[in-house]
Amino acid sequence: MASRRRMLLKVIILGDSGVGKTSLMNQYVNRKFSNQYKATIGADFLTKEVQFEDRLFTLQIWDTAGQERFQSLGVAFYRGADCCVLVHDVNVMKSFDSLNNWREEFLIQASPADPENFPFVVLGNKVDVDGGNSRVVSEKKAKAWCASKGNIPYFETSAKEGLNVEAAFECIARNALKNEPEEEIYLPDTIDVANARQQKSSGCEC
Amino acid sequence: MASDSTSNSPSSEEEEEEAESAGHQKPNVDVNVNVNTNSIDNSLDAIENQLSSIALKTSIDERAAVSASTDYDRIESVGSEIDDVIERRRSSIGESSSSRALWRSNLEVEVELEAEADGAPVSPSSSGYAGERGSSSSVTSASGTGDAIREVRDNGSSMGDDGGVSLDSSSQAQWIRDKRHADEDDGSVSWRRRKKHFFILSHSGKPIYSRYGDEHKLAGFSATLQAIISFVENGGDRVKLVRAGKHQVVFLVKGPIYLVCISCTEEPYESLRGQLELLYGQMILILTRSLDRCFEKNPKFDMTPLLGGTEAVFSSLIRSFSWFVFFLELFSLSFQGHQRNPATFLHAYTCLPLAYATRQAAGAILQDVADSGVLFAILMCKNKVVSLVGLQKASLHPDDMLLLANFVMTSESFSPICLPRYNPMAFLYAYVHYLDVETYLILLTTSSQAFFHLKECRQHAYRGCPVDPSARSGSLFHLNQRRLASDSHETFTGIGGPAGLWHFIYRSNYLDQYVSSEFASPVSSPAQQKRLYRAYQKLYASMHNKEVGPHKTQFRRDENYVLLCWVTQDFELYAAFDPLADKGVAIRICNRVCQWVKDVENEIFLLGASPFSW
Repeated sequence: MASRRRMLLKVIILGDSGVGKTSLMNQYVNRKFSNQYKATIGADFLTKEVQFEDRLFTLQIWDTAGQERFQSLGVAFYRGADCCVLVHDVNVMKSFDSLNNWREEFLIQASPADPENFPFVVLGNKVDVDGGNSRVVSEKKAKAWCASKGNIPYFETSAKEGLNVEAAFECIARNALKNEPEEEIYLPDTIDVANARQQKSSGCEC
Repeated sequence: MASDSTSNSPSSEEEEEEAESAGHQKPNVDVNVNVNTNSIDNSLDAIENQLSSIALKTSIDERAAVSASTDYDRIESVGSEIDDVIERRRSSIGESSSSRALWRSNLEVEVELEAEADGAPVSPSSSGYAGERGSSSSVTSASGTGDAIREVRDNGSSMGDDGGVSLDSSSQAQWIRDKRHADEDDGSVSWRRRKKHFFILSHSGKPIYSRYGDEHKLAGFSATLQAIISFVENGGDRVKLVRAGKHQVVFLVKGPIYLVCISCTEEPYESLRGQLELLYGQMILILTRSLDRCFEKNPKFDMTPLLGGTEAVFSSLIRSFSWFVFFLELFSLSFQGHQRNPATFLHAYTCLPLAYATRQAAGAILQDVADSGVLFAILMCKNKVVSLVGLQKASLHPDDMLLLANFVMTSESFSPICLPRYNPMAFLYAYVHYLDVETYLILLTTSSQAFFHLKECRQHAYRGCPVDPSARSGSLFHLNQRRLASDSHETFTGIGGPAGLWHFIYRSNYLDQYVSSEFASPVSSPAQQKRLYRAYQKLYASMHNKEVGPHKTQFRRDENYVLLCWVTQDFELYAAFDPLADKGVAIRICNRVCQWVKDVENEIFLLGASPFSW
């Protein structure tokens, strides 16, 4: 039964404002795209159920606001994340430069047990814009950065055209699965009657 | 009728709500105001009669259950129609996602739900939660996955039920149906109309338990709750309660476990918070607080597999908060009866009324068992204690007994459990044996190897158990015969006598035990009883309000009742009278009730149990 059980994955999407985090999520979850830009306020939550390698996953997607004024949400939002998606706009160099900050910020706030191997995914979004003519971040450059950070998987996406969105999220699920901790045996102590007296007197709140 | 039953539309109803509407359908009970010129003495005699019926060796609420069950048959059929409707609606839209956004303003925390997906069904604004403008159940084409998931769930729940209970199979069948409306989510109109939600989630926002709906489908909602709690915490503060119209959202943070109740039942904040505490206690009873360590080591920790198969335990606890007929019992012949449980707010337990000698004999046998190294030996009849004995100096908190009884009545027969008030960090081992369909013996020990020893203890206990001389056909405390005989409804459920005493609860503060009367006919329906229960809850909360209290007496008259509460060092008395009852007479009656309780206390209470000190 354990192997058949559903898994819930907490996925955090980070990146500068306007790189298309919400659009990617909407394309993935709702298969919809809107050209209108509406800034996310605080955070937005979506869920999507996916089947992958015979297992069912629920992705709990935390779409965060890119604006700095929302960064105070901090620890609480990042706590217990199973995967972190870093998004940049291939047409805006600054959004790519920020990836490093986003990654470090995440590792500080979430403080995962094994930061070296925490599953990230990098998405270079908006590859459709202007037929690729306004592009400033090359695939090569992005991949080089990903390689330097422990071979983070990289995808070129277009939320508008739905390009690679499905593949990217599938990779997220696969990554999280790979990172699944060994089934731990849960074995609390049994009461030692002699000790119990002490514990009780100290632990009694009423 | 109750103000909390006004907004029911037929399609929104479920357990609690159904009960209330069932109350509405029934012809209103005539509130026969019986202020005739009988002398006070007559009226007191009538009450005496009523009181003496309590001392009968039967559980107080048997008869009401039988008369109520016909209503519930009807309710069940209504319920399944509703299920059909919901099912149809769901299959026509298909869904696997939901969306919401958290935003902040300088003044307060609010939740705004943003309808992202066009064509999503927009929920009506007549009910629902803070910021209900258009929660979206976003439409995707992934309806295939939805079906697959449902299948898996079904497998899961039936596997969870294989745990095996020493109850009969009809109650087993009920476990499987226990989680109702499992495919609802926060986008469902029916889900949003439920009057009382309970959620347990982890501090990373992962859902652990939801009373209604599928936890995974509620992942977005769960994240929202976590975001609200964490946002306030970030500001160095704590969110305890958010009011949104008729709804109260009550938060309880227990380390890495967050508990939330969303309710429009108008229960006091303190009651709802107390219910969350018990819900947390129930979880601790199953897993201990060693959970905290797991979360410390790994914030991603998913504890839902550890809770596998325990949904029935939580649902039955939640139902007992409502002084409400145990659904599970209604459909199982062997388990009829009410699970009204004022213990959930009184922090006291109640005893099966018994001849003093009989209880003493039971206690002596349990003492023998306890002397053989068992930590606690408890003989119970449903949620009523027959006798209980602990190792020297060990004491059981009434809350722990409540959680234990709830767990035992819904699960296995030898199992590690944790008593949160005794020691929240570690396990004890509970051996449970049903002596008959309702009477069970619990032996708690620290040894996981003690199974066979406990079995022997049980056989010993059973041999010497004081079978009531008047019992027929071997049932220990002859509860069942009473039920079978109750077709005739020979019992006295008057209108409370001329003075109009409809009901009372007496709590002994020394013993941490309570006794409650049966209900007079003006409060005979489940809906009326539930309303009275809620009125008591409010009364209890106001009497124990630390800011303005403590109070000694309270006399409160509204269109439904006269409520009289009297708190002394020794006892607390809660009594409900006819709304036209005379104050002076009511007070005299309360005195009489207290006197009566003292006269028969060795039959209705367990005296000389180990002193409870916490």
